Amino acid sequence: MRDLKHLIYFENLLQEANHALIAQARADGKVCVAYTCENVPEPLLNLDRACSIRLTAPHTGSIDIATYYMTNLLCEPSRALLERAIEGGYSFADCVITPDGCTMMNRAVENMELLQTMGKDKPGFFHEYMEIAFKNTESDVALSVLQCTNHILTPLHDNYGIDISDAAIRKAVADHNRICELIRAIGDFRKEEKPRITGYEFHVLCLATYVCPQYLILDKLEETLEELKTREPDDKAYRARVLLVGSEVDDSGLVKLIEEQGAFVCCDRFCFGSYPGRVPIVLNDGEDALTQVCRHYIRNCQCPRMMNQEKVYGRKQYVAELAREYKADGIIYQQVKFCDPWAYERTLGAAMLQNDYGYPVLSVDRPYNVASSSGQMRTRVQAFVESIEIKKIQRGGKHEDR
Amino acid sequence: MKTVEKVVNPVRRAGEQSPGKIYNEKLKVRARREWRGVRDTFYDYTRWLYLMSVLGRFIVVPRNIKGFFRYRWMMSYLFVPHGMDKFTIGLRDEALRIAHTSFNFVIADVTQAIANCFRGDRRVGNDKAYSDKCVITDENSMVTFMMGFDTDKVHTILREVPTMFASNIFHQFNVMHYLDIAQQYGIPGDVCPMPEAEAGISIEDDFCVLGCCAVQNNTTCDGSLMGNGIIAKRLEREYGLPTFQLATPLRHKEPDVLDYAAREIKEAIAFVEKHTGEKWDWDVYFTAAKRVNDATRCRIAQMEINSTPYPQFFGAAFSLYNDTNYMGNSGRNADFVAKDHKLLALAQKGYEAKRMYAREYRHRCIVWGVQPQYCIDMLYWMVQCWGVMPLTDMLSVINTEMIAEVDTPENREQAYRDMAMLNMEMIMRNHTHGGYKVLVDELWELCEQMNADMVMMWEHMSCKALTGMHGQFEEQARARGIHIMWVSHDLCDPRVFTRQAIRDQVNSYMRTVLREEPLDPSLEIIPDNEAY
Repeated sequence: MRDLKHLIYFENLLQEANHALIAQARADGKVCVAYTCENVPEPLLNLDRACSIRLTAPHTGSIDIATYYMTNLLCEPSRALLERAIEGGYSFADCVITPDGCTMMNRAVENMELLQTMGKDKPGFFHEYMEIAFKNTESDVALSVLQCTNHILTPLHDNYGIDISDAAIRKAVADHNRICELIRAIGDFRKEEKPRITGYEFHVLCLATYVCPQYLILDKLEETLEELKTREPDDKAYRARVLLVGSEVDDSGLVKLIEEQGAFVCCDRFCFGSYPGRVPIVLNDGEDALTQVCRHYIRNCQCPRMMNQEKVYGRKQYVAELAREYKADGIIYQQVKFCDPWAYERTLGAAMLQNDYGYPVLSVDRPYNVASSSGQMRTRVQAFVESIEIKKIQRGGKHEDR
Repeated sequence: MKTVEKVVNPVRRAGEQSPGKIYNEKLKVRARREWRGVRDTFYDYTRWLYLMSVLGRFIVVPRNIKGFFRYRWMMSYLFVPHGMDKFTIGLRDEALRIAHTSFNFVIADVTQAIANCFRGDRRVGNDKAYSDKCVITDENSMVTFMMGFDTDKVHTILREVPTMFASNIFHQFNVMHYLDIAQQYGIPGDVCPMPEAEAGISIEDDFCVLGCCAVQNNTTCDGSLMGNGIIAKRLEREYGLPTFQLATPLRHKEPDVLDYAAREIKEAIAFVEKHTGEKWDWDVYFTAAKRVNDATRCRIAQMEINSTPYPQFFGAAFSLYNDTNYMGNSGRNADFVAKDHKLLALAQKGYEAKRMYAREYRHRCIVWGVQPQYCIDMLYWMVQCWGVMPLTDMLSVINTEMIAEVDTPENREQAYRDMAMLNMEMIMRNHTHGGYKVLVDELWELCEQMNADMVMMWEHMSCKALTGMHGQFEEQARARGIHIMWVSHDLCDPRVFTRQAIRDQVNSYMRTVLREEPLDPSLEIIPDNEAY
């Protein structure tokens, strides 16, 4: 296929945690709200002059200092983020908002606070920690509303004078929805039999929407969508269509590696992927916007830490439905090494998707930076693709409807 | 560095410097009983006989014999007498009586709990009427939500107590099998082995099938929260037990989570009412609340004694008794009240007599983190071998607030908040979660309060909440002049760190950093790696 016009532009943005668009946003007078978990309602971080920047640590190499502070038993993303913070990589942040979602990420941010890695020269700088709902009940919505009020809205207003009115929230949601609609529309091309976008390209675009000030990439996303409408797909058949599920994938190299083995990553269901993170928020006029935003996040949340049975089994159902919608031949459940929530979710998910829903599943753990063990991952994926391919050949080359 | 005054025992204790000689590497149990002088050896032996009578009364019931052969974890039953000796190493006088009073009571309580499990078990006793009034709680749960149910009408079954806690304490290899099962199923080996073992028990279907419903909890960590899914799959989908997930906020020091936590308690109570058909009784609740407050006062008094130069109630018995009383009991059993007061009276008597439990106390130590179940005698060993007195451990540093105990309309609403507070501040999670202040800052406050010059830091290698603050502990301890001694282990898997590997970390620190010689060299290396 012809290269996407802005792909290199987006790829370059993902090479640094503190990239050119963040500098531009600061020059525009924006308040950079750093965050670490997809359970934090993103539109609330984009109110008025605020703009959300998800913390990542591209090209992570040595994490020795962070390992001293947190030992080598914590997940690599949490250590990579702490290392980058110690190196001064997040000096752009005007505040950090993090939930007590997974313990390790919480500890990473607490270490950042104790080590004063950010905000020394910023009088309004603050760290906020939130409680995140465990279930999808109205009681949890009430908890979420209170937490967002106390730990996002009030500090943003008090420290930076951010407009936190209902109207401001509605505007932020509208802007958020525009990004979601673009990403969803781009992602829908992956449903095609001969898709006109690769899983890798989509991952780059989707990840950019989390780590960049969204208002600065909107035009290029729109242009990319237009470009895709007329893009000629390659006349080649993929060996297998796979759905990628699991913990955060900040290294697009993982998706590239999977696709280099002849698979096509037809859909993504991981932390900071397009499902459920880029599902538009539908607001009505009968209820305040904050409550509706919180309810949206709780109802749509697919985080493993949601513990009621409706959610536990619903997550597997959700993956199965995505696999069906995107015509996946198999599912890859992946987990960053030492991630407790996804360790259990991957185990149960892999068992249920295989036994109850009949999908071939590859269940695998991996490092944060895939390049550091690409050989092992490549072998696992190759074997998985071959196993799917053999089954497909046995069915006469047809996709199996489940 | 901070130093404390060395306290030397003016009295030579009978049988001192003998404990190391009672181990024999060819045996899986000790070669002989410890000599403690005529009076204490006789007392110890009579308590041992009492224990045998408890175990004997249990096993003569036919359904218990059936259960014994059905469930793998019941193997630990055989090693209870040997296990009890782990709690009395080197103890004499009041401390010996405290250890027996507290832990024999705990053993009797656990034995009764197992008997209850077998009574209702569809595979063993199959007493359906009884089973229909049982509520299963899982994994390290706090049972405050049961405080208002009459214990004669509704029975609480803590499924992890016999399968994991007691099992691993009495037989160090007993849990490994369930870890292997869980890992065979696909759970990685780097998660906390406690919920992993419990998940393994469910995967292997090796727990009694009983109860009318179950209540799960996100007790201590991400692993504990996540293990619920696998366990609920067995309970709900296969046994048909309706299962409620009691969500407990992690940031328990923040006032803005309390209402949510209280709503969850209300939901849990309503769930139990619905499935047991029994009603919440406020008289029962406030009676239990009085007992909770009484236990809190006794615990505070014990801690005060331990902050003096002559601590009395310490080590594993202190920790496990508190654990059982605070979490498993939560004021529901009246028998604990008498025990609490008896234990306090013994401790006061020992303090007034300035009783010491080693030749000398060189260091006053706070034990932080989570102890390995299979090396439960470690703290007694530490004081006997090196003169390091464990003043308290993290698991015993729990709630000190009084809860509402008078039945008024306002207090009924307050009661939900009190139960929620206790539930949020259950053992372990009250320090490992809720922000770094409760884990790090509170440790230094405790060092001040108890005049400690040393911290023994259990580094349970799968406890990410604790290891995530490793560097902060190091740096802040250095800044405060507190000795910090890291001791790694893997909670209930002796394959990762054997008992001697655990002790060797202390040996190395004491010899190389503090340049000290052991009080009792016979204890420095003990051939008990293969012992039960």
